[in-house]
Amino acid sequence: MKKEELSEDELLEKVTSTEYKYGFTTNIDSDTIPKGLSEDVVRIISKKKEEPNWMLEYRLKAYRTWLEMKEPDWANVNYPKPNYQDIIYYSAPKQKKKLDSLDDLDPELKKTFDKLGISLNEQKRLSGVAVDIVMDSVSVATSFKSKLADLGIIFCSISEAIKEHPELVQKYLGTVVPARDNFFSALNAAVFSDGSFCYIPKGSRCPMELSTYFRINEAGTGQFERTLLIADEGSYVSYLEGCTAPQRDENQLHAAVVELIAMDNAEIKYSTVQTWYPGNKDGVGGVFNFVTKRGICHKKAKISWTQVETGSAVTWKYPSCILKGDHSIGEFFSVAVTNNLQQADTGTKMIHLGKNSKSTIIAKGICAGKSNGSYRGLVQISKGAKNSRNFSQCDSLLMGDSCGSHTFPYIEVKNSSSQVEHEATTSKIGEDQIFYCNQRGIGTEEAIALIVNGYCKDVLNQLPMEFAVEAQKLLEISLEGSVG
Amino acid sequence: MGLLEKIEQYTNRGTDKVSNKTAYSKFIDLGFPSLKNEEWKYTSLKKIIANNFEIENQGEEITDQEIKNNSLDLDNKVVFLNGELYQKPTISGVKIEKNIDHSPKYNDAITALNAALAENGYNITVSENTIVDKPLEILFLTKNKSENLAQYRNEIIVKKNSSIKIIEQVKNLSTNLCFSNMFTNINLEEKAIIEFNKLQNNNESQIIVDNTNINQETGSNSTFNTLLFGGAFTRNNLNFSQNGERCESNMNGVVILDNSEFADNHTYMDHLKANCESNELYKGIYLGKSKGVFNGKIMVRPDAQKINAFQANNNLLLSDDSSINSKPQLEIYADDVKCSHGCTIGQLDEDAIFYMNTRGISKQDAKAILTYAFASDALNKISIPYLYDVAKDLISKKLNVDLSF
Repeated sequence: MKKEELSEDELLEKVTSTEYKYGFTTNIDSDTIPKGLSEDVVRIISKKKEEPNWMLEYRLKAYRTWLEMKEPDWANVNYPKPNYQDIIYYSAPKQKKKLDSLDDLDPELKKTFDKLGISLNEQKRLSGVAVDIVMDSVSVATSFKSKLADLGIIFCSISEAIKEHPELVQKYLGTVVPARDNFFSALNAAVFSDGSFCYIPKGSRCPMELSTYFRINEAGTGQFERTLLIADEGSYVSYLEGCTAPQRDENQLHAAVVELIAMDNAEIKYSTVQTWYPGNKDGVGGVFNFVTKRGICHKKAKISWTQVETGSAVTWKYPSCILKGDHSIGEFFSVAVTNNLQQADTGTKMIHLGKNSKSTIIAKGICAGKSNGSYRGLVQISKGAKNSRNFSQCDSLLMGDSCGSHTFPYIEVKNSSSQVEHEATTSKIGEDQIFYCNQRGIGTEEAIALIVNGYCKDVLNQLPMEFAVEAQKLLEISLEGSVG
Repeated sequence: MGLLEKIEQYTNRGTDKVSNKTAYSKFIDLGFPSLKNEEWKYTSLKKIIANNFEIENQGEEITDQEIKNNSLDLDNKVVFLNGELYQKPTISGVKIEKNIDHSPKYNDAITALNAALAENGYNITVSENTIVDKPLEILFLTKNKSENLAQYRNEIIVKKNSSIKIIEQVKNLSTNLCFSNMFTNINLEEKAIIEFNKLQNNNESQIIVDNTNINQETGSNSTFNTLLFGGAFTRNNLNFSQNGERCESNMNGVVILDNSEFADNHTYMDHLKANCESNELYKGIYLGKSKGVFNGKIMVRPDAQKINAFQANNNLLLSDDSSINSKPQLEIYADDVKCSHGCTIGQLDEDAIFYMNTRGISKQDAKAILTYAFASDALNKISIPYLYDVAKDLISKKLNVDLSF
């Protein structure tokens, strides 16, 4: 079989002409409220969710804080500021009754999930992954719930948790990411309509991967989901998150908040494959992804963030770890791919407070087309964090002469027993590397695929099995033509 | 009275006090930078500008002996005493005169203030095809009856195929605080070469904010060594811009601080044209309650292909009360480049100290040897042997050990 040889320019042309494969909409009735944001809208959302009074108070307080805040502009991204009065803050697929099993699910909805490749039943049988699906703003299906309940694990939508486990939600909500933390977290706290909640009891190990799938469907809506994950002492959980949106000419807003709490000796592994609609090749449309993710590690706890970012028109995301306890560990593994006119400003914060705390940062950026990718990270070692250790590595791979790659690390060290290492490189795929492969009968296109895969391997290896396969496919789609 | 009020009081006395009115209004608009300014995130001027600095000089006499004691005593010396040009050498092919350029070259509020009010400085022009073999020493000495603001505005032009080596020192001889606001503009024409050494070994009454802009034309080569061994507060801004192809820029720094000294080194490397190279190496050693800041930015503009840009910042924190904030940055808009930066913060290797102990080297000596070895990578870039010895001497004094090996 002879593969057609493409010149580098043609490869790039192919790269930039690939279309978004998740760009369909689903025709299901949905319950939406009018556009705009006001105290009344916050009250309506709270009422629709049948929330207790303390929750409404929490939302209103966040809303009032938000009114006084200004949208941040320090990130290295340019985008038209969303008009916050032109967004629908609540949209839910209409449901006649509460679902008992997935067979009762709206056939249209089911079709959507099949198209996305998340056939609920199949996943149930094959991979043993429990999935919570959030469409537009509301959680529509949670699988495996009863099986998990036997182990004392609570895995449900956050609105359900507010009703059924108010003591847990009230105790932990907003403790890691307070509403006043930033502009988008305040907005999220005011209007979040759903998300996932998970509690792993003391000493237990979650037997399966937990997963949430987010999808924006309705036009003109924003998605504001909230995830709260608590791993009690000595427990372990691995959590996956995926997301897609239909192809639209407008910019949709996604402002999520994720809070992780790892108690003493607990371990949380949080993986994200982010594939929001990135806009077309002229930069029209696409999702604005402004996300606040943060976890707190108590004594000997570990939080590991893994992310594969290929979607969104604009990404603004810094999954962080507060290493509060002694001997706690924070990890961040990231692959961020930008193409066409996408912009990504992403990275992490590692805040060392406990003694002997350790953190590792591996960030790999791939920029193609006219896109811009930035790594922005903070490593802060406070005075009391004796013997702490950090290793950071951020590499960028440039494909095409009109893309940009940037690194903005902040390193702050305040004691003399800690060690911090940071290194960053920027380069393109070497002509000699490709020549070497060509020489051995590997075509240019396969050679690039080989090199990109090798380049991302450190991060992809961190993903759970099911995701690793999906992520590799994603890289192929995002850079199709050069990766195949 | 704070510095800002003093400046306003001074300029209100007559319009002739301001040399560049646009620059002055720019300064008034911007005001002194606060911690909210990203470039001053870790460096607070608040306490400094609260001091009662006099704008007009009330200099005390500086004797020839004092000049001798504070200089490196090289053959070619340019000496400024309390803001006035006191001595200059005659070198063939080199024109040295008082700088009267107040063209609107400023990057921020501090440089605008300099452009608006600075009255003195040097202008050095090296004519075409001239190799100045002896290094030129430039010395700024102040001795004031009161706390004062000293501003200098300098310009160096190195013409085609010429080269020069310079050692610059700014020193305050009195115990009254002196705030030196220095601005130097260096233009390197085709294939010109410069080695500029900044020796900053100051006492606790010296505050320096230094801005140096280096503009390089095709094939030029610049090396900038910053030897920072003391001073209450030092802020260095080094801005390189490569306006032609095949330029090379080198920046090296050795920073050793003790007590409550503070130093902030900002470098900005702007690659505008293709086929250029830059190398940067900064070594910091922090003792006592000293604080250090490093901020290095490499910018590669669109179409500036085939750039090699390397940056390294290594730091030793030798005391629990010392701290360092480091911000190495890359901003790359061209694809066919090799750029990297590395930053480390750590301590001396316990194993290495133990190894030396077992061979009869005392703990203190072992530490000194390792610390010196740490700094020597950057120190070795100095091409003037005499200056190298002076620097080594100063390091051993600062570390309080004998380095005569």
